[in-house]
Amino acid sequence: MNTIVAVATSPGRSAIGIVRLSGPESLEILRGLVNDHSFTPEPKHVTLRQIVRETGEPLDSALVCYFAGPQSFTGEDMVEVSCHGSPVILRRVLDFTQSLGARLAGPGEFTLRACRNGKLNLSQAEAIRDLINAQTDAAVLQATRQLKGELSAALQPAKERLIRIIVRLESALEFVEDDLPEIQSEEIRTTFAEIAAIVDALVTSFSTGRALREGVKVAIAGRPNVGKSSLFNKLVKSNRAIVTEIAGTTRDSISESISLGGIPVQVTDTAGLRIARDKVEKMGIERTHQAMAESDLIVAVVDGSTSFGNEDLVMVHHVTQGRHVVAINKCDLGEDADVAQYLDQTMRVVRTSALTGEGLEELTAAILEPFGAVDSETVGLLITDSRHYDLLRRTQASLSHSAELFGSGGSEEIVLVGLHGALQFLGEITGETSTDEILGEIFSTFCIGK
Amino acid sequence: MVFDEAFDVIVIGGGHAGCEAASAAARLGANTALVTLNLDLIGQMSCNPAIGGIAKGHLVREIDALGGIMGRVADRTGIQFRLLNRSRGPAVQSPRAQVDRSLYRAEMRKMLEHTDNLHFRQGMVVELLVRNRTIFGVEMQDGRRIAAKAVVVAAGTFLNGLVHTGQRTYAAGRAGEPASIELAESLKKLGFPVGRLKTGTPPRLDGRTIDWSAFQPQEADELPVTFSFSTDKIEQQQIRCYVGYTNQHLHETIRANLSSSPLYSGQITGIGPRYCPSIEDKVVKFADKDRHQLFLEPEGHNTNEVYLNGFSTSLPAELQQGLVRMIPGLEEARIIRPGYAIEYDFVNPTELGPDLQCHRTAGLFHAGQVNGTTGYEEAACQGLVAGINAAAMVNGRPSFRLKREESYIGVLVDDLISQGVDEPYRVFTSRAECRLALRHDNADERLRGYGRMVGLVGDGDWERFNQKQNRIAVVKACLKSTRLKKTDAGYLAATEIAGSQLGESINLEALAKRPGVRSEMIMRLLPFETRKAVNMCELEAALADNLYVGYIRIQNGVVQRLKHHDSVPIPAGLDFRTLNGLSHEMVERLERSRPRTFGEARKVRGVTASALSTLYVAANLQG
Repeated sequence: MNTIVAVATSPGRSAIGIVRLSGPESLEILRGLVNDHSFTPEPKHVTLRQIVRETGEPLDSALVCYFAGPQSFTGEDMVEVSCHGSPVILRRVLDFTQSLGARLAGPGEFTLRACRNGKLNLSQAEAIRDLINAQTDAAVLQATRQLKGELSAALQPAKERLIRIIVRLESALEFVEDDLPEIQSEEIRTTFAEIAAIVDALVTSFSTGRALREGVKVAIAGRPNVGKSSLFNKLVKSNRAIVTEIAGTTRDSISESISLGGIPVQVTDTAGLRIARDKVEKMGIERTHQAMAESDLIVAVVDGSTSFGNEDLVMVHHVTQGRHVVAINKCDLGEDADVAQYLDQTMRVVRTSALTGEGLEELTAAILEPFGAVDSETVGLLITDSRHYDLLRRTQASLSHSAELFGSGGSEEIVLVGLHGALQFLGEITGETSTDEILGEIFSTFCIGK
Repeated sequence: MVFDEAFDVIVIGGGHAGCEAASAAARLGANTALVTLNLDLIGQMSCNPAIGGIAKGHLVREIDALGGIMGRVADRTGIQFRLLNRSRGPAVQSPRAQVDRSLYRAEMRKMLEHTDNLHFRQGMVVELLVRNRTIFGVEMQDGRRIAAKAVVVAAGTFLNGLVHTGQRTYAAGRAGEPASIELAESLKKLGFPVGRLKTGTPPRLDGRTIDWSAFQPQEADELPVTFSFSTDKIEQQQIRCYVGYTNQHLHETIRANLSSSPLYSGQITGIGPRYCPSIEDKVVKFADKDRHQLFLEPEGHNTNEVYLNGFSTSLPAELQQGLVRMIPGLEEARIIRPGYAIEYDFVNPTELGPDLQCHRTAGLFHAGQVNGTTGYEEAACQGLVAGINAAAMVNGRPSFRLKREESYIGVLVDDLISQGVDEPYRVFTSRAECRLALRHDNADERLRGYGRMVGLVGDGDWERFNQKQNRIAVVKACLKSTRLKKTDAGYLAATEIAGSQLGESINLEALAKRPGVRSEMIMRLLPFETRKAVNMCELEAALADNLYVGYIRIQNGVVQRLKHHDSVPIPAGLDFRTLNGLSHEMVERLERSRPRTFGEARKVRGVTASALSTLYVAANLQG
């Protein structure tokens, strides 16, 4: 196993840049880097040293830290060198470590080594990927929970119950001549329900989980001069968009990323929808349509102080086909008598005033509503990965089919088809259960054998 | 080297594996010798006098479909036929029969003696003669040397066998028969990894000393379901077996005497089968159970000997009599042969290819208990596979293998060679991923063609099979086309049984799928001509295909999904020792079987889920 090296911090200028080494030569390479062949740092202690170029001239002063395997992230000997974050310095350090025997790490290779050395399992590795990509506190929290193996742990009770049913039904089939206790249908039905409750709760959490992981795209759309940009500025808490009383001020879509209640939200302010008066506006409106099409939710803004125009009606009708909030803006000016007649039960309506800030909290809540309420401190474990979601959905379907068959008196071998399917799907998250383990469970539960 | 005789194939051992191997090889044209310690004990059932049972019955039918002999012999000598799991679906039903032990031996010997190219030789093989990693013959204890191009080892529990009753031990292959110690040494010398397993047998009682009235009788089926697709009728008169129970007093006495059981004193180190525990194990491991079931199984028509099934023991012989007498109805019973435990050597079957030929030594095949299996049926099907392949090797024909998806034999062989064995291996229906498709009644549909292709299915049987398939096709068409209408005579009765509305009319195929509807009812509703042309078994086969269609699709989906992951390659150069997360044991297991894909790794016995997870990541990230 050779020693690998990589820059661990993101590319570009920064205050500090970290170079990381993993493998048996790590310490030896560090010694070359600090030009001191008797350098014996205490593991997990940070030391300030001068690092040098290949010629021996000083390059930078850096904080160096040595981790002796297996007490390290990868389980191997590791070194971290925190230099000043100039791309030139980092490049030099990389070059020098390579001439000292290291090779550039492939993508994910540090994590691979951690997995290989039993420091991480598959779902923990997935969690690390999420952690690196996390955009908000709540997403970090979820990735951390999964890193701790909480998803596997949360599914364990479901899996144990599933195996209990399988063991019961399999033994009835395989050991018909043995003196086994009668199958207690009521007990098995209860167990089915318990498994479903665990799996269902996790499945339901996915819309929140996915929003957390991937973020939510919100487009603010509407006729010109209804206050879209003002609402946008209020939501992103900065005067990002230019606001004037001139209709059509916003010519191009602008986006800003914010955290709403822990969920990463990309809000896009768009050019007002109307028949374009020039080429630039025409292109802007095309972009508005594009932003609307790409969004997860559209905030349709109308001016509540005036009667609805045709454009308003067309747009409101359009957006209410999908996830939406209709913001009746300028509520500080009072509401036009006709507005109410355009609204119906199927619309999610919020009355706002970008000017006074009235209704903004309600607007935020309405935006988050379809993605599940998230409180980054108190929320339970969420499914954030679509692979896990897919597997849990399959588990759900398999189980409910089997439960139905069992309830209607289906023979064990067909009830078991779905149960084994479900066990396999769960196993793809938590680790597999072999036939031998099930047989072992049978033999330790029942006294089998003529 | 000078030889006294030369054959194409030598089969060592005349048990269930040996008989099938010798019969198959000889019938495929190989000049074959069956070498056994005692010609009078060919086809001996060492343990219970019964063949079949759940999954085992499937094996016997598969053997028969391929042209093996176990099913025919069992049909001629079976004295109590029962189809197990009758109340469940057809895929998990399985035939079982009590068999007359001495008739079975006689019938098997007769059948082998009437086989061309097959020659018996009595004696003990002490050495396998190997040169350049290729077998070329065997040496006998009496000094004879026999040359052969292929050798099938089917030595059963005789390999280094050691019998235990209480503290006493003696070398034996079965009680009263010599062990084959040199042969075991010869295998070790060739470098085979040899392990130790254990099995046991209960005492046999004198039927005249049993109070039968204290037991519940268990009747044979009125219409016996045969093992062989060639059998028309069961001729043997059918008998009863009897069911009884142990009691607390007996349990306490056994527990008080555990120190004299070699199982609990540490004297036995071999691993026994968990699904066939000794009575000592039962009362210790399931101490909360207040009684254990026992079966009294008569050993045959012309003997008083009764097999006390469920009472396997290695307690001292002198204690057994007293223990047996604590069972209600056995107060006066006398033991004819005491029970005992036996330890024996086995060779880890990961040494074998799918043709059961050893990687290590060309021309050497292993079949039966030597591979760590238990059960006559498990042994016989391996004997058949080994015999076919030994003959194929000699005749220069391609090797023969079965897939997991098409047969229990395929499942068994694949499990053995890919996972190895660390306790005696028995077949279970749950080992087959495609359980619903592998029914006992369609074994011929699945495998007859292979048997014909290999050359073990004769013209008569082939013709019979084709006619049967034609009739099933006719019934299937008839089930689709025949509609039961509201105005028909049987409609009301059908509605009552199905317990739901059947509409204006319903075809028989759909009706048969309704819960509660039995094949007898469908038979009555078939048009007269069809009813006359098919029998019940054929109708049931047609119905079963129809019943499982949807589920088989789901099941295959699951299997396919597994296969998808299974195809992830494990880099050839991957050194498992570098995956420090794996325990030493996991590394050893993986190194021994050198999986090439994640699927193969998944099948390696004893590899834990977390180890697989580590391996999966490594395989994926590298691949």
